[in-house]
Amino acid sequence: MSETREITLTVNGTEQTIDVEPRKLLVHAIREDLDMTGTHIGCDTGNCGACTVLVDGEPLKSCLMFAVQADGSAVETVEGMEDHPDAVDDLHPLQEGFHEEHGLQCGYCTPGMIMSGKALLEDNPDPSEAEIREAISGNLCRCTGYQNIVKSIEYAADKLADGERDDAEAVAADGGVAADDGPAEFDGYDVDGDGEFSCGAENCCGGPSTDATHRGGDER
Amino acid sequence: MKSAPFEHHQPTSVGEAVSLLESLDGPTVLSGGQSLVPMLRFRLANPDVVVDINGIEELDYLHEDDGYLKIGALARHADVEHSDLIAEKYGSFADAAPLVADPQIRNRGTVVGSVAQADPKGDWGSLLIAHGGEVVAHGPDGERVIPADEFFLLPYDTSLDEDELITEVRIPVPSEREGSAYHKLKRKTGDYAMAGVGVCLRFDDDGVVESAGIGMTAVDITNARASDAEDHLEGERPSPDLFEEAGELAAEQSHPESDEHGDAAYKERMVDVLTQRALGDAAERAGVVRRTVNP
Repeated sequence: MSETREITLTVNGTEQTIDVEPRKLLVHAIREDLDMTGTHIGCDTGNCGACTVLVDGEPLKSCLMFAVQADGSAVETVEGMEDHPDAVDDLHPLQEGFHEEHGLQCGYCTPGMIMSGKALLEDNPDPSEAEIREAISGNLCRCTGYQNIVKSIEYAADKLADGERDDAEAVAADGGVAADDGPAEFDGYDVDGDGEFSCGAENCCGGPSTDATHRGGDER
Repeated sequence: MKSAPFEHHQPTSVGEAVSLLESLDGPTVLSGGQSLVPMLRFRLANPDVVVDINGIEELDYLHEDDGYLKIGALARHADVEHSDLIAEKYGSFADAAPLVADPQIRNRGTVVGSVAQADPKGDWGSLLIAHGGEVVAHGPDGERVIPADEFFLLPYDTSLDEDELITEVRIPVPSEREGSAYHKLKRKTGDYAMAGVGVCLRFDDDGVVESAGIGMTAVDITNARASDAEDHLEGERPSPDLFEEAGELAAEQSHPESDEHGDAAYKERMVDVLTQRALGDAAERAGVVRRTVNP
């Protein structure tokens, strides 16, 4: 055990200070020290992209950098998506896209796919199919064959573009004040009757859980 | 914890980094870390001391200066990929950058780190060879400039001394009648090359090849020069026949190994094809030929 060092990360907008050994990978700091298990570890070798997070806005594989190297950086993980300004009804349009377009089967790659998709859409709000495929080329999926992942990201791009158009119209109509359209219709399962999406499985995507703070992630 | 414990140093200047390399015992330099971190994680590398150069802002550049395109040690693959200067003037670098690994790795990995890693499957070394590039290192005795041909010794082994830090790689700014290209064959997006060929062609005013540089990826124990093909091209006018002959000579000079992706004969044939394609692109970009044959 080598000496630990205090580092400060701004994770999904919240400043977090933790003590880590220099050899601790960023993905382990996120999952183990910050208890945010939405970011997955897949291959552990930099191939699969399941651990993709945004560091200062750029998608990176969090198994390929040490936590101390992220000291002072802003880190975005899948847990931050539901609180994103673009999110409606607890889901970011990307998350909604994966739901609507069946963009996941086992879901293991999904957090990484969503973060790569987010980086793409921030940079290029109207990507072509080829651009989407290039943007997720560092993220492996063994279930879907990628078709529906591409559709999910296209769904989000359309939804975000509609939102901007709506905002612009609302601004015009209200003489400069954006209107709140309220939550969109939502047709997911609602097993516990609280109006929130859940797939019904324990400890998954916001379903029944002993700790409800980690929606969107697994609890392994 | 995946890696063995190590002391982590974060110098903020080249001078500080060089003194650390000189004074510490068996230090390993960490830049982008896209190869080193997995090696540490598998304990294939077990340094006691890691000198992390990511905080040395003076090494974060990609620009033309003093007749060279200079790529600082903290320029990421993505910086090359998204550079207007590269897109405008450096065809081979513009070809190669988006073919390196995947977007996340390009955001973090560095050109210089890839050169320092000296993986024979790395792309940038072939371009340094093709362009007559140089590696600039700083050590206790100051700066040392190492020509690309003298840099790569064996897989993962270079002529860099243990207390030296590569601060920059550079290639000459292209002349007016010059074109370059890089072609790479890989099994799928994001993979290392099965074979890759970078070429740089300079023509005289009459459209005759004045100098040719050809570097090959993944078909020898290091990035390698196809000198027979280069000699064959120099003094000649570009033509499909000439490029075909050059392709054959490059293939003959390559030494690929058979593996699960293809046997040696297949890879040699691919060197031939990639060389012809890259020569065609380079000549076209130099404004000397309009492509009539696309092999």
